[in-house]
Amino acid sequence: MPADKSEILQGTLDLMVLKTLETMGPLHGYGIARRIEQISEEALQINQGTIYASLVRLTQKGWIAGAWGTSDNNRKAKFYSITRAGRKQLRTEALNWERISGVIGRVLGMAERG
Amino acid sequence: MLTRIKAHASRIRSWISRRQVDQEFEHELDTHLNMLTDENIRKGMAPEQARRAARVRLGGHTQLTETNRELRGLPMLETFFQDTRFAFRMLRKNPGFTAVAVLTLALGIGANTAIFSVVYAVLLKPLPFTNPDQLFTAFQANTQKGIAETGCSYPNFEEWRAQNHVFSELAGVLAHQLTLTGRGEPSVVHTSVVTPELFALLDVKPLAGRIFFPQDGKQGAPPVVLVSEDLWRGRFGADPQILGTSIDLDKRPFIVVGIIPAAFRTPFFNAKQEVWIPLVQDPVFSPFMPQRGVHLLPVLVRLKAGVSVAQAQAEMDAISGRLAAEFPAENSGWTVRLVPLQKEIVGDVRTELLVLLGAVGLVLLIACANIANLLLTRATSRSKEIAVRTALGAGRVRIIRQLLSETAVLGLLGGAVGVALAYWGVKVLSSLLPSSLPQMNPIRVDYFVLGFALLLSAIAGVVFGLAPAMSAANADIQTTLREGARSGESRNRRRTRSLLAVAEISLAMVLLVTAGLLLRSFARLTSVSPGFDAQHIVKADISLPQFEYSTPQQWAEFSEELLARIQSDPGLQDSAVVVPRPIADNSVKLPFDIVGNPPSSAGASRTASYVSVSPDYFRVMGIPLLAGRVFNQHDNSSAPRVSIISEAMARLYFPNQDPLGKQITFGFPRGSAGATREIIGIVGNVRDVSLGQSPGPMMYVPFAQAPLWGANLVVKSTLSTSSLAATIRQEVQRIDKDLPVTDVAKMPDLIDASVAQPRFRMFLLGLFAVMALVLAATGIFGVISYSVSRRTNEIGIRVALGASRNTILSMILREILILTLAGLAVGLPCALAASHLVGHMLFNVSANDPATLAAVAFVLAAVAALAGYIPARRAMRVDPMVALRYE
Repeated sequence: MPADKSEILQGTLDLMVLKTLETMGPLHGYGIARRIEQISEEALQINQGTIYASLVRLTQKGWIAGAWGTSDNNRKAKFYSITRAGRKQLRTEALNWERISGVIGRVLGMAERG
Repeated sequence: MLTRIKAHASRIRSWISRRQVDQEFEHELDTHLNMLTDENIRKGMAPEQARRAARVRLGGHTQLTETNRELRGLPMLETFFQDTRFAFRMLRKNPGFTAVAVLTLALGIGANTAIFSVVYAVLLKPLPFTNPDQLFTAFQANTQKGIAETGCSYPNFEEWRAQNHVFSELAGVLAHQLTLTGRGEPSVVHTSVVTPELFALLDVKPLAGRIFFPQDGKQGAPPVVLVSEDLWRGRFGADPQILGTSIDLDKRPFIVVGIIPAAFRTPFFNAKQEVWIPLVQDPVFSPFMPQRGVHLLPVLVRLKAGVSVAQAQAEMDAISGRLAAEFPAENSGWTVRLVPLQKEIVGDVRTELLVLLGAVGLVLLIACANIANLLLTRATSRSKEIAVRTALGAGRVRIIRQLLSETAVLGLLGGAVGVALAYWGVKVLSSLLPSSLPQMNPIRVDYFVLGFALLLSAIAGVVFGLAPAMSAANADIQTTLREGARSGESRNRRRTRSLLAVAEISLAMVLLVTAGLLLRSFARLTSVSPGFDAQHIVKADISLPQFEYSTPQQWAEFSEELLARIQSDPGLQDSAVVVPRPIADNSVKLPFDIVGNPPSSAGASRTASYVSVSPDYFRVMGIPLLAGRVFNQHDNSSAPRVSIISEAMARLYFPNQDPLGKQITFGFPRGSAGATREIIGIVGNVRDVSLGQSPGPMMYVPFAQAPLWGANLVVKSTLSTSSLAATIRQEVQRIDKDLPVTDVAKMPDLIDASVAQPRFRMFLLGLFAVMALVLAATGIFGVISYSVSRRTNEIGIRVALGASRNTILSMILREILILTLAGLAVGLPCALAASHLVGHMLFNVSANDPATLAAVAFVLAAVAALAGYIPARRAMRVDPMVALRYE
């Protein structure tokens, strides 16, 4: 249940973070940002800092959890991993997303025809 | 829902450890930045360049931390602290404004809290007994005889006890005074005469010993007495051995069986009760106990748990019906009325207190209006600050919240000082309270009253803060910023300020009119002639112990001897005895018949106040003889019965006839039932009950023919009260060393004390009205002087263009006049409505007394003109050169 449905972008970013963590396992902020950029084939050039707002929101809701660890090149970093509640949330959100994007696609298609 | 709770919990957790959370976030960002830099270096950038690019990629550091904090912490709470801190800083920066506002508010809240503490203790706080809502009084009423509320006869009381199923307990209670002798000076003690169940009914725990048991109320039981803690500590020096010993009441020994805690008050009776005795032992009332027709016992009942008033009333109706059928002579027409005990105790004090509370509430409203005005003035000078804040991105709500925080802080500060004032005010108030005010609960500032003060200050803070805050937040920033330092006052704000001033004037008018009416009424009340000359009259009470002086013969002999002794004293020749004395707040009204006239029908019986006096009474008191003769030494118990009537009685019952020589009969006192008396004289009217009650019909009888066991001695003398008291005491104790002389007082002081209640309300309302007037004057002064200072420029131009000083003055005066007239126009109907609320408290003054209204309007106009005069003079003296340069 997103706190504010009108803020689609924010919600979208949260969804992408959840999905990334689900597929990649525990990652630090930089890793998540890089991964999202790679997946979107650099089409989505995000201001990497905004990831952190998303991480705070998801942590507060209990969908991800953070813990300090050591990165590949021996840096102390905070690693985030998806929780059970997070996985459940991801499933509902993904379904929702498909439905909405389907609707939007149809509406846009209709607009083109009309 | 759960997710949301979790989120809030997490926010609170991270707010508590916010320093650590901030550090960790800092660290996280740092790592991220380093990783980005590494990546950039791998891509071939120079380290410096790599770092800069990484920073751009990550986003602004300040912004990130700020967002993070907002998301993690409790922004509401932080804003609140921030606002409060800022509010304190702003208030410290303007000590003058703060002091005026806090003081104004403190006066308002202090006065309200003090009055509320009285209202709470008397009207709202439950009576200090177990389950007080089960307590009722059971009165007898007889509509046929026009009796709305009286006691119950003892035989009926016993029937009620035996027959009812709705009360868990019933008790009768009466009060009078008895003489306590032995162990020190003889004295008179306030005595409650009760049926034994009273203490069980009220669930009273004795301090020591026991309460009354049912057998204490039986005929032939040994006389027992309960003494109050105060009497025990005072007169008996807290003697631990007192239980089981005996004390003498009216010269008869009673065994002390218990001590009643000081906090206990017997319902109905205000005077602090000192001893309690069973009804069956009472010298005055016990003789009436077997008589079913004597309705003297007020009855207190406790409903059984779960029984409603309606059920109880139905049961009592049924019992009344049965009693009326069984004893038609005594009981036909008599019904029972159940009244909640608290309501009965409070009586008509309720309206009085609510009027005071309303009045003091108006004072607070005026105070709020005044502070709102001050704030508006300040808001105008602060409009630039607010415009800058808005320009920097503060939302409207955020601005209003900040301004309201300031006023809330102001309100609470005012409340704190106000509560301190209230503590002091309650002390002063307690010493002023008329003794007629029932005080079952102590009057003090307790937690409930404190809560009221807190609520009041919070509400006040919002009330006076909202208008200025809204108007400040609504201001158009562009105009304000463009206008620069000379931020003009918007029309809207000016209108609000004028409206506030008008409201202040009209509210002040309400209070002034009410206070004015009460003042006028009081002046009329105290200037009314009581019908006798109170100057240099001193009175003293002497009460004969009933068990020793039990026959009318003894009473008459005693008074004769006493008067003979006292009158032989130089300086005390002008003395007499009387019972009851005038202005005693009560009278003895007795029915009578006129011989030769048909007996009066039920419901319209002839009654007159009955007074027993010694022959010199009329001369001592200066009551004029209008016809016939006064009593003399020969009108004694063996002579024919005679009576003197008042002018009012002659007019009422003997219209167009000469009452002299007519005979009247009545059945009092005991033993002289059916005595026929000849009217031998007519004297002037006397206000026997109170100054405010016009004199009713009165009849005087010679004390020698109708003696009582106690009397008031009245002496006309220029000697000091204390030396008179000493002489009287000496003479009385020469006759009987165990007789107390009590309540020695000057008659003018007694008259003064009899108007304590109207004086109290006049004093308080007058005080509030003066506060209101001062506040309203300050308000007008504020509005006009501000208006003048804003118009300095305009006035300068006018003067430069040739306007004379008088033109300027009249311009300002017109502004004052409009405000005042508007205030009076709004205030008049409100004042009239308010004065009708106090209409029943007025004596010889109409609620819409035109003189009072005119005087108040004049005073308000004069004060408004005076308040506006100072700023108007400043306007007159404006130097056009200075004014035009004034920017």
